[in-house]
Amino acid sequence: MAVPKRKMSRANTRARRSQWKATAPNLVKTVENGRVTYSLPHQAKVVTDSAGTELFLEYKGRKVADV
Amino acid sequence: MPTPAKGPRLGGGAAHERLMLANLAAQLFEHKQITTTVHKAKRLRPYAERLVTFAKRGDLASRRRVQAAIASRSRTNKSIVFELFENIAPVMANRDGGYTRITKIGNRKGDNAPMAVISLVMEPVSPKQAVVAEAEKAAEKAAPATEAPAEETAEAQVEETAEVQADEAKAEETKEA
Repeated sequence: MAVPKRKMSRANTRARRSQWKATAPNLVKTVENGRVTYSLPHQAKVVTDSAGTELFLEYKGRKVADV
Repeated sequence: MPTPAKGPRLGGGAAHERLMLANLAAQLFEHKQITTTVHKAKRLRPYAERLVTFAKRGDLASRRRVQAAIASRSRTNKSIVFELFENIAPVMANRDGGYTRITKIGNRKGDNAPMAVISLVMEPVSPKQAVVAEAEKAAEKAAPATEAPAEETAEAQVEETAEVQADEAKAEETKEA
């Protein structure tokens, strides 16, 4: 098995890690019941009751699956 | 070795992919709705819809083709073939293609794989779509024949091909009968 000969410097480690970035998802803005919500497009959404309990997944007014 | 259109094969090889698609299709017809990865769902869709087309034809030859596809090894899958031909096919009788629906449901927790629910479209064909198709046909007739092909959208073409296939299937039925 190949084994590194030398210890990787702190600078090199940090230079590598600095290139690892998070990308923001492209959200769509919709108005539901007078409230502005942001959600992922073309994907089922979780329906919650008033207490915030997750009930099921819904897409285009159709129940898709249980959570 | 030719690669399928939608990317590399599922599983380890051609045989593995055949078995996977057969098992996914069998489970889809048994449960009407299955959760799988988006990749597998997209591959399953044309395979499963083809089997539904055979089921709609309903003769012995097509039944044997479906059995060879999904029940060649398992005798329990023969009940799924029965379910497909006796229960699912009549529901799909008026539907010209588009027998399945894929809905994305986000990524899986363990490996972050994008997941989807693929389900059989068991609802009756809504009249709204029929009205839209009629309106499109009327528009095509009204427009000159030379301009019509250019104006057609991709959806319209798909619908037309589906109709043609359905017509062919009916023609074959009448020939056999």
